[in-house]
This record gives sequence, structure tokens and C-alpha cells, in this order.
Amino acid sequence: MKQLTDLEYLKLSKWKRLLHRLGSFFASIPHGIVNGLISLGRGIKKAAVGLRDDVTDIFATFREGDWSAKASFLVMGTGNIAHGQWLRGLLFLLFEVVFIVYMITGGIYWLSMLPSLGKQGPTLEYDPIYDIDVVTYHDNSFKILLYGVLTIFFIVALIYTWRVNIRQNKLIAQIKRSGKKLKSGKDDLRSLVDDQFHKTLLALPLTGILLFTVLPIFFMILVAFTNYSGTNNGYTNNLFTWVGLDNFNTLLSWKAVGGQSYAATFGEVLAWTLIWAFFATFTNYFLGMMVAMLINKKGIKLKKLWRTVLVMTIAVPQFISLLYVSKMFAKNGLINNFLMSMGWITKALPFWEDPTWARITVILINIWIGIPYLMLITTGILMNIPQDLYESSRIDGANAWQQYFKITLPYMLFVTGPYLLTSFTGNMNNFNVIYLLTGGAPTNTAASSAAGSVGYTDLLITWLFKITTGAEAQYYMASVIGIMVFVVVALISLVVYRCLPSIKNEEDFQ
Amino acid sequence: MKKLLSVLLTLAMVLTMTAGAFAASLEGTYQITIWVAEEVKDLTAKQIEDFNATNEYGITIVANIEAVSEADAATSMITDVEAGADIFCFAQDQFARLVQAGALSSLGKQAAEIVRTSNDAGVVAAATSGDTLYAYPLTSDNGYFLYYDKSVIPDEDVDSLEAIIADCEKAQKYFAFEMGTSAWYNASFFFATGCVSEWKTDDDGTFISVHDTFNSPAGLIAVKGMKKLVDSPFHLSSSDGASFASNAAAVVTGIWAYTTIEGILGDNMGVTDLPSFEVDGVSYHLGSYNGCKLMGVKPQTDPIKGAAIHRLAQYLTGEKCQMERFEARAWGPSNLAAQASPAVQANPGLVALYTQNAYSVPQGQIHGSWWDIAKVISDDVKNATDDAGLQQALDNYYDKISSLFNLDTSALLFVGAWNGWNNADESDTYYFKDGSLTLDVPASDYMGGRIVNPGSWDTDKGFAQVTVGADLIKDLGADNPDNNIVFIEAGNYTVTIDGDAISIVKN
Repeated sequence: MKQLTDLEYLKLSKWKRLLHRLGSFFASIPHGIVNGLISLGRGIKKAAVGLRDDVTDIFATFREGDWSAKASFLVMGTGNIAHGQWLRGLLFLLFEVVFIVYMITGGIYWLSMLPSLGKQGPTLEYDPIYDIDVVTYHDNSFKILLYGVLTIFFIVALIYTWRVNIRQNKLIAQIKRSGKKLKSGKDDLRSLVDDQFHKTLLALPLTGILLFTVLPIFFMILVAFTNYSGTNNGYTNNLFTWVGLDNFNTLLSWKAVGGQSYAATFGEVLAWTLIWAFFATFTNYFLGMMVAMLINKKGIKLKKLWRTVLVMTIAVPQFISLLYVSKMFAKNGLINNFLMSMGWITKALPFWEDPTWARITVILINIWIGIPYLMLITTGILMNIPQDLYESSRIDGANAWQQYFKITLPYMLFVTGPYLLTSFTGNMNNFNVIYLLTGGAPTNTAASSAAGSVGYTDLLITWLFKITTGAEAQYYMASVIGIMVFVVVALISLVVYRCLPSIKNEEDFQ
Repeated sequence: MKKLLSVLLTLAMVLTMTAGAFAASLEGTYQITIWVAEEVKDLTAKQIEDFNATNEYGITIVANIEAVSEADAATSMITDVEAGADIFCFAQDQFARLVQAGALSSLGKQAAEIVRTSNDAGVVAAATSGDTLYAYPLTSDNGYFLYYDKSVIPDEDVDSLEAIIADCEKAQKYFAFEMGTSAWYNASFFFATGCVSEWKTDDDGTFISVHDTFNSPAGLIAVKGMKKLVDSPFHLSSSDGASFASNAAAVVTGIWAYTTIEGILGDNMGVTDLPSFEVDGVSYHLGSYNGCKLMGVKPQTDPIKGAAIHRLAQYLTGEKCQMERFEARAWGPSNLAAQASPAVQANPGLVALYTQNAYSVPQGQIHGSWWDIAKVISDDVKNATDDAGLQQALDNYYDKISSLFNLDTSALLFVGAWNGWNNADESDTYYFKDGSLTLDVPASDYMGGRIVNPGSWDTDKGFAQVTVGADLIKDLGADNPDNNIVFIEAGNYTVTIDGDAISIVKN
């Protein structure tokens, strides 16, 4: 790909510019990979050097430190306490004590069970006196996986704290040497609402994110490498175990077992997901913009009324309107019955029965739902386009189309580019519309039974739902598909993000 | 000797006393959670009060009654057994899943005996896995029959599927019979021609074998009948009783839709058993599933509480409570005495159901995936253009059934006394991998077996094909309609298949 100068680039037409950008993106991939590898190497080297320095530093602290510094290697916080920094020292000590107590009371068990995910499932014993089977629960794979991961997090936190504790001793020595006064507990507390205020503010959200976002994601990813399912639920029945990459093999295997292979089914669903996301995003975008422009046009009366009418569809909760519309288009629904009673058709139109009809119908209904939102978003932006641009173009003799393609659209794309991207990825995971309208129907009769009862309008996300709640409750497959959805979405976002005008030509409209 | 006897006697006395003391200690108050359908929530509260007032053990139940539909209960239980209800109700198709997930505690020996003798055989089978009873029968009315609009379909037409379809097409109204979305309904055609799909579970609820004859000449007749229905532009795949309000003239559904449909059609409502269809001049009466709802008790860690809850579940599914539910909500009882009561016998919906029951198949235990596999047959049938296409639909079905057991269909399997007649055997021991097989025949009353395709029960080769070693097996003549091979004595044999001939050599 030839590197163009700014002047050459600006001479190109709009489409050629886009092509150029796409081309240079793909051309830059090999280079990018090499660069990535090099920086990865640098990163590793840097980390190694950092680690070496760290270790040297730790040893130096030990060698040069006084008795309290040496003792804090074992009992954290001794150094601080010995030098009168009671608060810091006690906090270190408390953390160590909590850690030790946790490890003894449970941590060691969770950690030791993590490689096997449990050794003994529940047992039943007949109690002749009460004439009943009594259950005794033993290992629980689910909890082992969850708390095992939590324990690892805890250990990492301990190592980090221990390192901070060592560094404290070095710091104390330095400050003492320079003759300054050490910070007291009072100073520490005061700084938390002063120069360290950001830490105070972020402590709670950070803990929350760690516990409620990072930990579950970590856990869910790990599930993809186990056989966690309805029949191996890890507790009341069989324990579940690690299966390595078996589940990914299943997903990508072309071997047909009892119907279509898993890979073929996955491919079909993925293809439809992409087609759906494309149409759902762009039909809404352009039609919504069109409606907004129509209403904005000078000479249109009752502007507020038209907008209100359209916004009414937003006022009704989406799931109610979707369920209702789904019934309307049924074989014996309002629409078919009406057309038939008028004598226009002799048999019902297969809105939900035929795969192609069903796919087109969901896209059309989605337009009906989506236009009002887009109209609202674009109305504001359209009003924001400087009117002098239009006036001067009119003087230059531009017609409406030229104005649209040269002024309106570039401006809109510039402002709403990031919105388009998020709406595309949002549509890839648009569970509501598909699930409530068709539930994935009509069923793909060729798909194997292991793939659940996947249908022609199922997106990856609704398929995932079916697999989790279906006859076999294959949580592991759902996790694998979840990871695949992430990979696809991440890839598309990355490519598109690089090509967005709002990122590429940041100054265009400033 | 005397001393020993006295020691034994004292010991026996002590044991009886402690046992007696334990039995009395069921007395107490127990906090439990119960999931029942919304419509019987209040009734259940009243029934629990009755139980508290009348039970002989001094049990007081403080129940937190929550409305959870029978369809959702199983999924909620499996998701988290520990947090699930102590007593919950579910449709029988969820039974095996629940046993597998360890969400059901088995009935005690005495309770099991009472349940077995007082309920109809179909529901007892539905609550049994292996030899163990895991749940209390709640109803025996989960079947379907025909509701029709008398103003559209004349009474003389309701016995013929073709006539009903013709009437509906003429009136431009729909015939609702759920096909592509439910195997429970579309299996009706297969049962009409005598096909079966029987599954076997062991004591843990794991499926061990299947006997399925959908892919057979009879199955082909069934799909021909099905094609007549699904090809009609006025066939509607639905079992919603409310369809009568949106242009349907006939709906195949169950007793639960009775009040809804009565409200829509009023005096025009007709109720009867399912019609017959005709293929090649022979008439086949549509079959149906005959299922039930069950009440289960979650395994308890405290035996005393467990025993108390079991007593309650037993009471709630007894004759009195079943009759109360029938009177309040028209739930068809499973209790034999309740079924025989005049009030039940006079309900037109239940009469239609009981008439249809003559053609019905007890639902038994069915693999969860079967519902997904079998429901798509009717879509394939609809898309088929000729008999080859119909056969393709059945082949597609058969492939998927076979894959459930990871069956290796490349070799024949010798099922029999030696492997517990398991036609889905996953061990390599009984397959004719290279045309021959070494077999250990254990001593038993019937030392026989048959050579089949894995997953099927139809004898592929048998007694008639034995050319070498005929002296080692019994010639049972007319007593051997299945062409079984029955060894005369136990021992180790080598069986070889060469083309169509079988040779047997004793080692």
C-alpha cells in the first residue's frame, strides 16, 4: 500500500478514501503483528528486568535493614510499628492475620481441590427408622472453582501487600537518614482526605468491580474448560472436572454426529448474526435519519405531533409491543386474518414458518421499533449542522442529493460513527427482539441434538440461551460460545474503530 | 446359652425402645418452602392447615407457598438445588432430569407401597426410575384430545382427520394441532400406527437404552398421515385453547384449556377423542401421550425434617386432596378411588380424555433431547415432496437418536442376558468388530440374546442363520418368535458372522 501524502489523500473521492483506509488497515496488519511481537518482547524484557531489580531491592533491604526490617519479612508491619507508625503497621499485620486465618479455615482446601474440582460427590444413606434416604453433601465443584479463583486473587493481593510492606522499610531507612520526621497515623488519615483522596474515592468501586465483574468473568471463562452441565452440576449429582480444550474442539469440529456438525451450525448462526446486525443497524440508521430530515424540513406542519406519534412506540415497553407484534404476524394473527377476510390471499402468509420470510420479517419489525430512537438522536445533530454550509452550497448550485452526500452524511457519520459501532455490536447481541418475536423459530431440522433446538433466526446470544436452558443445560458450551461472541465482537470493533472518520480525521469538523 | 439369649433379648428391647422413641419424635414445627401452580396456591394453604390439624404425628408445617408453574419448577430446581423448594410440582417429562440432578429424594418403603397400590399404573411408572419411586403422583390428566366448534364441524365428521381438514378449509378456519414445536403432540401420528419410543433409565436416572421404531414401515405410514395435516394451508401449529378466538375451528389440547374454550365457544363447544386418518385404505386412530404431574421432595440433610415433609407430600397427593383439586380446578386425579368417583366420571373433558386413553401411550421416562429431536420431524415432513423425502425425515430422526448414546452403528451388537439386554452398550465387548466375538455366557434361567443394530431391538440375525454349532443352542420353535439365540449351557463361546451365516464354537 502506497503511503499517500495529505494532499493526495484529500484529492481522492469519498469512496476511494474509505477503500484506501480499509486497504491500509489490512496492509498494516503484518507490520502491526511484527510490531506487536517486538513490543511484547520488550515488555517481557522490561518485566524481567523489573523483577530482577525488585528481587535485588528486597535482598538489599534485608541486608541493610535493622532487626525490625528483617522481622517484617515474616511478620508484616513490624518495621512500621517499631518506628512508631502504628496505623500502617497494624494494617499490614491485620491483613496477614486475616490471610492466614482464611487459608487455614478454607483457603487451603479450595486451593488443593482446584486441580481436581472435587473428589467426592454427595452420598445417600437409607435411614430405616424414618424410612427415608438422607443425603450428605461433600465436595462442591462449583464452589471449589469459585473460591479457588478467589483464593488465587487473595494470594496475589498478599504478595503485593508483602512487597509494599518491604518497600516501607526501605522508605523508613531513607527518611531516617535524611533526618526528616516519619508520617504518623494521624498524618496518614489526613492525607486520605487530602492528597490521597483519589484512593479513598476509588477504594469501594474498585473492590466492587473486582468482586462483581472481574471475578465472575474469570469464572465464566474457566467454565469453558470444564464439563459443567445439568448432569454434571458439581454438587447434588456428579462433580464436574477440567476437560482442557475439548469443548472448543466440539464447537469447531466438522464431524457430523446425528445431523449437521457443530461447526456448520455455528457457522450458519454466526453468518445470520452478522447479516442481522448489519441490516438492523443500517436500515434503522438511514431510515431514522430520513424521517428526521423529513420532519425537520421547512414547510412541514405539526412537527411536534409527528415526533410525538413516533416516540409513542418508545413509551410502550418494548417487550410488550414485541410480543404483541409477534402474535399479529402469526398464521392466525390479525394481519393474515385481515388479508384473508378481504379476499386478497387464499392461504396465510408464512411470516414465522418460512426461514427467509421470518428473517425478513424480524428485520422489518426491528425497523419499526428502531426508527423513533434514531429519529430522536439525529434530529438534534441535524439541527446542529451549520446552515451556512447549505446556503453556500446552494449558491454554488448543489442539488439536494449533493448536499446530502457532501454535507449531511459526512457530518452525521463523523458525529455518530462511534454510535454506529456500539449499535452494531449491540445488535449482534440483540436478545430481546429475536427471542420475543420468534424465539429462534423456525427450527433448523438439520442441526444435531447436541446443538439444542437451534432455529433459523437464532442469534449467537439466543442460541447460547437455548443451550443453557435446554434439555441438557450445557453451561460449558454456552461459555465457549460466549467467548466466541467476544472474539467476533472485539475483532469487528477493532477493525471498524480504526476506520471511523471521527477517529481518523479528528479535526474535520472542528 | 441362656445368658446369650437374655443379652440378645435385652438388646432387642433397647433397640425397640429407641426406635419407638425416634418414631415419636417427628413431632415438631418445620419451616418449609413449597412451589405449586398459581391456581392451586390458596387451596394448598388450606390443605396444609388441614394436615396440621389432623396428622397423627404431631407435625406442624409452617409453609412458605410460592407460585411456580410446573413447567418452570424443574429448571429452577436444577439451577440451584440447595436454594430450591422442599416440595415442588412438575410435569413428568422433567422427571429424569430431576433424578439425574439429585433434586428428588426417593420415597420410603412404606410410602412407596401406598403410592403404588392407590394410583394408576401409568403414573406410577412415570414416577419410577429403575426400581425406585422418586415422586408422588399429583394428577393423571396430562393428555390431549379434540375440542371443536360445532357450528363449523358437524358431529359426524369428528372421527375423520380428512373430514375435519376439509371442513376447516371450506370454512377458511384453522385446525390447530401443535406439530413443529412439540414432539409431545406430533408423536400422536406415530402411536396411531403402533410405533414406540421407549427409554430405560437406571436407578440414578441415567438413560441406558432405547427401543425406538419410528424409523420403520409403520413410521412411514404415520408421516404420510402427518403430511395430510401439515400440508393443509389451514393447519395451525398451536395448542393454545384461545386459538378459537382467532379463527380456529378445532384445537387439539388438554383438559387445562377446558374453561378457556368453554368461555369462547359456549354451547358450540364439542369435546371428543382424536380422529382417525386413512392411508392406503386403512384407518388409523390417532394416539396420544398419557402423562401426569408429580410432586417431589428435595433431599434433606436432616432425616427428621425429611420424614415430616414426606408425610406432608403423601397427604397432599392423597385421595382427599386430589378430589379437592378436581372440584376446585378440574385437575384429573391419579388416585384410583378418586378416578372412580361419580363427579369425575361426569366431567365431559375428562370423559373425552379417558376415551382417548384407550389409544394412548403412558409417557414413561424419555430422554430430554428426544423432545428436540422428534419435534422437527413434522418440519421435515412438510418440506418433503415425495416418499423418499418422508423416509429422509425418518432417517434424519434415527441418526440423531443414535447419536445420543454415542452408538457405533458400524458393527452389530449381541445383546442378551450377558449385558443386561442393553442395546445401547458402550463397552466394546459385545460388538462384532471384525465379524467375530468372544462371549462369556453366565448361568441363568434364560441364557439367550439377539444380534441387533445398536440402539434397535429388531433382530438382525438370529437362530435361523446359525449354520455351525446348532447343537450348542436351543431350538425353541414357535416359542421363539424373535429369532433369538439361546445357549444350552453357560460358558465361553466364539461367535462369528460370515455374510448371512453365523457359526458358534464353544471354547
